[in-house]
Amino acid sequence: MTLEVAVRAAAPIPLDVSFRVEAGELLALVGPSGAGKSTVLRAIAGLWHPDRGRVSVDGETWLDTDTGTDLPTHRRRLGVVFQSYALFPQMTALANVMAAGAGQTRASEVLELVHLGGLERRRPAELSGGQQQRVAVARALARDPAVLLLDEPFSAVDRGTREGLYAEIERLRAHLRMPVVLVTHDMEEARRLADRIVVIDHGQVLRDGPVDDILYDPRALRGMGLREAGATLTARIEDQEADGLTRLRCAGGPLWLPRISGVAGEVVRVRIMAHDVMLANQRPEAISALNVIPGVIESILPGDGPGALVTLAVGDELVVARITQRSVQAMGLVVGQSCYALVKSMAVARHQVGREEAEP
Amino acid sequence: MPLPRRHFLALSAAALALPARASAAPVIAAAASLRFALPVLTGAFTARGGGPLRVTYGSSGTLAQQMRNGAPFALFLSADASYVQTLARAGTVTDEGTVYARGRLALIAPKGGLAVDGAMDGLAAALETGAIRRFAIATPDHAPYGQRAREALQHRGLWEALQPHLVFGENVAQAAQFAISGNAQGGLVAASLAAAPAVEAQAVSARVPESWHSPLEQRMVLAPEAPATARAFHDFLLSPPAQEIFAAHGFAAPEPA
Amino acid sequence: MDWPALWLSLHLAGWTVLLLLPVAVFLGRFLAFHRFAGKGAVEALVILPLVLPPTVLGFYLLVAFGAGSPVGRLWESAFGGPLVFSFEGLVAASVLFNLPFAVQPAQRGFEAVPKDVREAAACCGMSPLTALRRVELPLAWPGVLTGMVLTFAHTLGEFGIVLMVGGAIPGETRTVAISIYDRVQAFDMSGAAQMSAMLLAISLVTIAVTFRLSERAGRRLS
Repeated sequence: MTLEVAVRAAAPIPLDVSFRVEAGELLALVGPSGAGKSTVLRAIAGLWHPDRGRVSVDGETWLDTDTGTDLPTHRRRLGVVFQSYALFPQMTALANVMAAGAGQTRASEVLELVHLGGLERRRPAELSGGQQQRVAVARALARDPAVLLLDEPFSAVDRGTREGLYAEIERLRAHLRMPVVLVTHDMEEARRLADRIVVIDHGQVLRDGPVDDILYDPRALRGMGLREAGATLTARIEDQEADGLTRLRCAGGPLWLPRISGVAGEVVRVRIMAHDVMLANQRPEAISALNVIPGVIESILPGDGPGALVTLAVGDELVVARITQRSVQAMGLVVGQSCYALVKSMAVARHQVGREEAEP
Repeated sequence: MPLPRRHFLALSAAALALPARASAAPVIAAAASLRFALPVLTGAFTARGGGPLRVTYGSSGTLAQQMRNGAPFALFLSADASYVQTLARAGTVTDEGTVYARGRLALIAPKGGLAVDGAMDGLAAALETGAIRRFAIATPDHAPYGQRAREALQHRGLWEALQPHLVFGENVAQAAQFAISGNAQGGLVAASLAAAPAVEAQAVSARVPESWHSPLEQRMVLAPEAPATARAFHDFLLSPPAQEIFAAHGFAAPEPA
Repeated sequence: MDWPALWLSLHLAGWTVLLLLPVAVFLGRFLAFHRFAGKGAVEALVILPLVLPPTVLGFYLLVAFGAGSPVGRLWESAFGGPLVFSFEGLVAASVLFNLPFAVQPAQRGFEAVPKDVREAAACCGMSPLTALRRVELPLAWPGVLTGMVLTFAHTLGEFGIVLMVGGAIPGETRTVAISIYDRVQAFDMSGAAQMSAMLLAISLVTIAVTFRLSERAGRRLS
């Protein structure tokens, strides 16, 4: 089973992308939002029709604009996990999996495989985000698809849940003998899960190669959107202070942010952009930045030009800093070294604070 | 949530189980002035062994228009001659029909209001004093009794003065209903309506001299394909027992042709 | 109480609902899911009866269905009777007049089905008809049913068009709304009052049912 894809279109964005994915291989399509990666995925699924293109799976042609072949989506044997899961809300977890054409025994097996045994009778609204995501994966696998498509499947769950799901996918890989395409804008996700990465920007393939090659390729990194790099910290509200700041506690200690509504004990997620983070070797004193978060350097990725992306492990979460390569050298930063991330309180805008999803 | 399939099925079954036509009895289209006389006449007809009939009421103009557009009327009882003649000219019917009664116009007012007299002196006086705010007649456009009411008022010289106070019924029965509802001070309607017990209980009336307006020569005409029951009823209406009923309901006898 | 008129009205409402149900489902779904040139015009046309005076629609139907029109002649040669002033003509008029009441709520119902859920149905191998039956209708039915309830109630109450294209033939085209008008002219106020109370009750039940349905639909999608 090999998936071969070639699509060209003038709208909605100029697109010219082609790649192939071998059986059992997991290919990550990465790039900034708007790069056209989801559009390519939709073309494979037959949910979008390019001006010109060819999609074939193991010799079976799903789309060929030259011969006028265009199989409707329901005739293409594929499994798709949507960004929002797109579960059928009126059906139980079991019925959702059976809706993909699986018998009851097979559906139960697949739910068992994604560790949802015992929750078969629950409707999507009665499941947590992570559980819903597993149902979506089970549904996609249930019909034994010739191709598995994952459209930013982890973007709607918090980092803790995401970790569990990554582990789940890694474990499932043993069962996946078909080509798998994962669309993501998160290079960490691609690094964790993919065998190969295709970087797309402005509708063009920037790079196509094994994960390790791509991750240290500055040209590819630019396409992955260094500007949008950032990480999310989970924090608990501790106190609303009199001067308009809210004190929170994250894995790395206290955080002060401009007033966040909420009561003490409430858990929020704070997105910290890489370009708002400075690094220091020692805990600095007498500076204006209120937040000093200790961490351990997990990776240093040099970018195209003078920049570099440094990833810090803070507890089991991450903080990403975008600093110059000159600073990396001057400070002698290396992987495994402890250092401090400095974040201005005022750099965290209100829209960067989200609520934790409740687990029913 | 399961679809309430059963409800839809029950509904569709009910709709389909109904017969498309409730009955095949011939339809009599009757001028509104006949509203109280005709139930008695059809009753007498069936009591004498006549078949069932269905009746629809309206202004003669409306009914003629509907018949011309294909309404399945077997017999048309008009309030005057002109609409029957119009249908004959259009070829909808094959003859100019037969006079079955002569209509009379009556001044009518709620009890305890306007002084009612056939010469309309009370009405003229009330107009002078401003006691008339609303006065009902049938619409002259397509109701013969409305046209005759206008003629009679013009003859009496009250038409201009009454103009701002007029309310028009779509047909003469509606005009009568307006006239005695208490929302108007009176009206000019068919004597056959003014004589009905339901009306007499609430209103006083007086007949207007017949010479004040052109005659209400009420004609009836059969549709070319009218069934036997309709033809029998047509003939029955000209018989002495039927003519007695017409007279008892405020109609005058048709003048011998 | 004019029972034949009430019976006739129920009969008319039943036929209207029955004929409009597939129209509402397929047209409502089509308008909800597709974008195409002239969609605005189609939607405007569907809504037109809502703002058009019933008598105007009645007039055009009289012209279009009348004995002199091609439609009227075709009907007459096929069924041996005129389309106007007949029950069938009333059904045809009622179907046209209720188009917005049936299609609009159905369209809203289908619009509430998320695009990715519909796409997921196709990606699960469901053909469009299977997806309609198993995924879309179970989610959109409160809208579809609301449309049918409104159509039913509205048909019971429609007056102007019925008067214009139906005449008031007992057992054929004299609906309960016409009968009320007729009773008043016959000075039978108590008869009119009884039937008015009946229609009032039906209208109140209709409102209660539609409110319940929209509430239910709202709950499900939250």
